[in-house]
Amino acid sequence: MGIDQVITSVIAVVGVPLALLGYIIVGEQVIERLSDSVQSWIRPYFWALPAVGFATIFMVYPLLRTVVISFRNSEDTDWIGLANYKYFFTFPDTLTSLRNSLLWLVFYTFFAVFLGLIIAILLDRVRYESLAKIAIFLPVPISAVAASIIWKFMFDYQPPGTPQTGTLNALIGLFGRDPVAWLVNSTTNNAALIFVGIWTAVGFCMVIISASLKAISSEVLEAARIDGANEFQIVRLVVTPLLWPTITVVGTTMLINSLKTFDIVYVMTNGAYDTDVIATQMFSQLQHAHYGRAAAVGVVLFIAIVPLLIVNIRRFQQQEEQR
Amino acid sequence: MAEVLARLSSRAIAGGLGVLLLLACSSGGGTSGGGASSTDVTVWTAWGGDELKAFKDVLAPFQSSTGIKVHLTTNRDSTNQIANGIAAGTDLPDIAPGPTDPIQVKSWVSKGALKSIETALGSDAFKAYIDSTYPALTAAPGGASDDPYIGIVGGKHYELMVKTQVKGLFWYNKKVFTGTAPKSFDELLALNPSQFGAQKIFCAGFESGAASGWPASDQIDNIIMRQSGDQVYINWIQGKQKFSSAEIKLGYQTFLKEVSAQNVYGGSNTALSTNFGKAGDPMFNTPPGCLFLEQATFIANFFHQNKGVTAGTDFDFFAHPSMGKSQYDGNVNGFYDNFAMYNDTPAARKLMQYMATKDAQQIWANDGGTLGAIKDLTYKDPIFQRAADIAKGAKNLLVTAGDFMPSDMQKAFWQSLLNVTRDPGSLDKELAHLDQVQAAAYTSS
Repeated sequence: MGIDQVITSVIAVVGVPLALLGYIIVGEQVIERLSDSVQSWIRPYFWALPAVGFATIFMVYPLLRTVVISFRNSEDTDWIGLANYKYFFTFPDTLTSLRNSLLWLVFYTFFAVFLGLIIAILLDRVRYESLAKIAIFLPVPISAVAASIIWKFMFDYQPPGTPQTGTLNALIGLFGRDPVAWLVNSTTNNAALIFVGIWTAVGFCMVIISASLKAISSEVLEAARIDGANEFQIVRLVVTPLLWPTITVVGTTMLINSLKTFDIVYVMTNGAYDTDVIATQMFSQLQHAHYGRAAAVGVVLFIAIVPLLIVNIRRFQQQEEQR
Repeated sequence: MAEVLARLSSRAIAGGLGVLLLLACSSGGGTSGGGASSTDVTVWTAWGGDELKAFKDVLAPFQSSTGIKVHLTTNRDSTNQIANGIAAGTDLPDIAPGPTDPIQVKSWVSKGALKSIETALGSDAFKAYIDSTYPALTAAPGGASDDPYIGIVGGKHYELMVKTQVKGLFWYNKKVFTGTAPKSFDELLALNPSQFGAQKIFCAGFESGAASGWPASDQIDNIIMRQSGDQVYINWIQGKQKFSSAEIKLGYQTFLKEVSAQNVYGGSNTALSTNFGKAGDPMFNTPPGCLFLEQATFIANFFHQNKGVTAGTDFDFFAHPSMGKSQYDGNVNGFYDNFAMYNDTPAARKLMQYMATKDAQQIWANDGGTLGAIKDLTYKDPIFQRAADIAKGAKNLLVTAGDFMPSDMQKAFWQSLLNVTRDPGSLDKELAHLDQVQAAAYTSS
């Protein structure tokens, strides 16, 4: 690392916060000299400006630029109308990736939330709850790349009749079945990848749902029991509706995660055997220097995610209001 | 809050901040990485492990004799990062591998990012370099002025060749395969593996993480260049020969014979699930799984690491047999490692000049595991001595097709080989799809 880089990093780490501080000090001195009515009008804008400024430079501008690039050719020299979008919605490879993203959206989200809910409810009733929770939560802190490599070993395939090094094939070998090439076989590969995703996500869903489960007053449950409800009815008619706001938030988070899925697919198959998803498609377009097509994929992904974000934020606001 | 802040000697702070801000602006705008240095040179490489060690061995005498400090970084994403650097106008390394994508080569030359080897070496050293290096790596076919596949644009060279490998060799366990090398591909396919106690003729392993499929592409490359000739092969790389054309389809069909359930160890699922580095291991098992593995020179290291076997005594190779067209027998498949100069500094020139010398490349040859780019190096390892003979005897040293296609074409090509290996019945559908990708990949829209 050269001396220039050292200076730049020092300025970034020390200088930027100091500059902000300076902005506030100098600005406040100026504002205090103004009349009271002007002060109360201008102050909120003054304090919000740095945050809005950063968000504009680092988030809004790139977003707008992405939209612009999505209508331009790969060299960014000419407008080409909707050609990049047409490519995305007509080319067989991108259509396959759309189909797979839809599979991820449905199965990953459903199983991660559903299993998280079931496990949270069941573990609520056992003595070894925290131990079991730790076990389920353990995959969450593992990075997706590491998890993918772990599961590559789990899915490993050796020729029939030789010792199976993959755990799954060794297991089905015990029942006298031939090994399955999990990641190659097109009936199993998407399911295998989604399963890895679920494995990394269930713990997260469980923890959030469990926390909100703890907040349900035991009096409500007792009242239901006195009214003659059985445990199954309690879960279905009392607990689940009370958890619904939490489930929605966890569910939309999982939906967004499913659309963003990249690392598991990239590490395990890189989209071979029809396992591409939208995000890996976007990455390969970038790699191939088709910046316009990549931007178009990004815009489509963005448009798909916005409604989910809105739902999520509304839910958060409702929860805040309830408090 | 305001009062607290006011109590600080705010003016002093604000003044200091102004200076800092100015500094930030000036240093943020003009980082130049040291300018035209004659004492320091930054180099990126994708090598790690033994390859990196060998490169450091090559650099050591240069650093001690010239006093120039080489700042070496292993960067496996260097092409992408340089592309972004060129687009954004930020710092580039002084020396790094040139791109393999021909479109990128031309684009970077036109943007002035790549400095010519003629400039870097100076006229005498450049002539010596051209005279001593394998001609297939430095001369455009038929005296053409452009061959971006090996970094030649407008009659000028932009990629300095330093290492090469020969591909399409058939490796065997000497204790198992005791016959003579088959003269033709048909003879090869007609061998009876059980005669030698092996299960199948071939082993194969096409898995290679995100680059899965490249080992299969080497196999089909070697078939097509010897079956339909170098012109078809080059047109195909350049996107002028359709995948569904008779020649390329025949190549796929011949490839499918190599990986058919009848001929490949463990069937297609094994070939698709096995990493290329482990593909040859069953040759050394008892009973042996197969007779041959088709792979490049570098695979000898893997055999040694995985199975503890020694080149020459335990295993050997024979060259790719003829496809029955003697006029194409001189086509040999190889690939190269190159360095390109991105900043024309005195130190960078000196290093480029040094790497083009026989002394430097002999160190690479001595460390083993590769061929140099210079013809008359000596190799301690008999395997590489013989591979060098093959490279010298080659009429055309043809590059690996996939590496020189646009990257989306490459990915689709590699994955198509995986798909047809899994399901040979999908061949026509795959070829039609490849035609579609080809039509989209070679335009820049």
